Amino acid sequence: MKVTVKIIGPFIYAAGFSESEVELVEPATTEDLISRVNIDKDRSKIILRNGKAVTLSDALTDGDRVVISPIYSGG
Amino acid sequence: MFGWTGNILRIDLTKKTYKKETFSEEFAKKWVGGRGFAVKILFDELKPGIDPLGPDNKFIVALGPISGIPAPNTGKAVVAAKSPLTGFYGDGNLGTRVSEHLRKAGYDALLVEGKADRPTLLYIENDKVEFIPADEIWGKGTYATNDWIYGKYSKRVGVLNIGQGGENLVRYAVVRSMEGRAGGRTGMGAVMGSKLLKAIVVKGTNDIPQAANDAMRALGSGDLRKVGRIDKQTGWSTQGTTGVLSWCNEVAALPVRNFRRTHHPDAWKIDGERLNVARIATYGCPNCTMRCGITIHDSEGRESELDYENIGLLGSNLEIFDLCQVASLNYLCDDYGLDTMSAGCVLSFYADAIEHGAVSGDFMFGDAERAKLLLGLAARREGKVGHMLADGSLRMAMQFGKSSINYAMQVKGLEVAAYNCKFIPGQALAFGVAPMGAHHKEAWIITYELKNTTRESYGPEKAAKVIELQRIRGGMFEFIVACRFPWVELGWDLDNYPKYFNTITGLNWSSDDMWETADRIYAMIKLHYLREFPNATRQGDYPPAIWFDPSNADTEGPIAGKVLEIDKYDRLLQHYYDQRGYDHRGIPTRATLERLDLVKEAVEAAKYGNLL
Repeated sequence: MKVTVKIIGPFIYAAGFSESEVELVEPATTEDLISRVNIDKDRSKIILRNGKAVTLSDALTDGDRVVISPIYSGG
Repeated sequence: MFGWTGNILRIDLTKKTYKKETFSEEFAKKWVGGRGFAVKILFDELKPGIDPLGPDNKFIVALGPISGIPAPNTGKAVVAAKSPLTGFYGDGNLGTRVSEHLRKAGYDALLVEGKADRPTLLYIENDKVEFIPADEIWGKGTYATNDWIYGKYSKRVGVLNIGQGGENLVRYAVVRSMEGRAGGRTGMGAVMGSKLLKAIVVKGTNDIPQAANDAMRALGSGDLRKVGRIDKQTGWSTQGTTGVLSWCNEVAALPVRNFRRTHHPDAWKIDGERLNVARIATYGCPNCTMRCGITIHDSEGRESELDYENIGLLGSNLEIFDLCQVASLNYLCDDYGLDTMSAGCVLSFYADAIEHGAVSGDFMFGDAERAKLLLGLAARREGKVGHMLADGSLRMAMQFGKSSINYAMQVKGLEVAAYNCKFIPGQALAFGVAPMGAHHKEAWIITYELKNTTRESYGPEKAAKVIELQRIRGGMFEFIVACRFPWVELGWDLDNYPKYFNTITGLNWSSDDMWETADRIYAMIKLHYLREFPNATRQGDYPPAIWFDPSNADTEGPIAGKVLEIDKYDRLLQHYYDQRGYDHRGIPTRATLERLDLVKEAVEAAKYGNLL
């Protein structure tokens, strides 16, 4: 399956891109995607799947838009 | 008494006199410093109803026990006065070497009253104060003013100054320092200008009294290095605060077109990634390793220092998606000494009002060149348009009529920070109840709302979160006077701050002691508000009406068809009042004031407005 990944902030330098389509083998979780794009799973982050916050164990489906971002707190 | 110098320097510009006044240990423990000192002193010394731009207003620079001590991000100062923008207590903080120098000169606060008979620079060196004629720099921008001051006094001083915006009494003029730092969104620069006070220069050469000098030096210096290491590990400084722009765009929280839209396909052109690529230098405040000011060349080739708020409000909010043009607008605001955030909202409101027929004019969204001209007109109060823009969104809406108040992006007269809360109830509440207007420094809970609860919720947990963050951000950091960024951006443990405070003062305060002080200060700001606006209602704590307007809903994207619901917002507001111990108007009850040891202040406030 294919998901669109949008990476935010300094995470883009670990991933090497800021937005891309990523192909994953089904079934795949958010954690699988995090490993795939080279972002440390232990770093604090917020992950949104189609606009809603998800956890590392949540399943992804074909066509999802996933946003991976550091925790922002309003400056 | 350790941690405080115990002195306030009072300067009368009318009489050209000054005196060192002492304060008691009881006063120090009750108000701590910074915002705490300012809110108490101004309550005691200002009569309600005075003209904020007249000689009766007083301008305060207030520091805290942690100010100027080598420890994470302590190079800050609070500037405060009655606000010409909102009509009651207003303040702001900025990074400045005044923080360290004023404390080393022997003062925890500076109180300026009266009005000079000619443009004046105040030079303070330990016990000495000089009233220096400043005609030569009156009319100059903040960059040229800074250069002139450095030429005269060297860079080994602390400087606060204003540009043409402050001189010409633009209601959102700021105080500037160190060629890049700004503070006092509530028009503190205009208050300086009204006193013909162009600049304050401070040199201090004494020690700051501390309970444990060596222990604090080791603790503070070590922690500064640790914060620096975390910054490097996380890569935060690569984009600084601007990383949040593309996140706001993704979650439909970006101000676009006077907040009418929440995201835009061209947002990537002005995001943190692009800014980092264009970066030419990075600047920070004293005692800071994070250095959040990223500079780029603007469209005229000048070095302009950007952060998220000014890109959001001078960029996407005006539909200007050219980073160099945004940098130009930002440079002009900085040089004129205007608040970039209010300036962005004022211009977006003007374009919107023209588009909706509330006023005639020739400014449209996306027109960067015209925006530059308008900023100049405002800063100089040139012509009818310049005067109108210089007065801020609320007064513009009053002048325009035609329901334009509904889309004037302000609360209590202060323009909204760069987070579009069209469908973010908790953050809309945070702006609504921010005690001096829609400032983001008081509470910011958007990540919490999306991650720990649901966006749709108006539950009491969101009110509780707003209060929790107000106590930390608008409370503790504003009265110990340090920058919140190590905690807020890098996760530096909050418990470090009571530790610094206790090491410096020799006291043994817990976090709860901090929160009680924060609550006292918030209650005092509400008493200032009541004295000036005795007919206050809860509608004063509502965010801009456009966020409740279904016809303003997004037509596509993550929040398509959704806006805030007014009945639910009102219930959320009531949760906040109940948890705070405020009445139905948002004013602290007598019982709450008694609990916070504000009985005397309650008697004074009750002369002007009802307390329940």
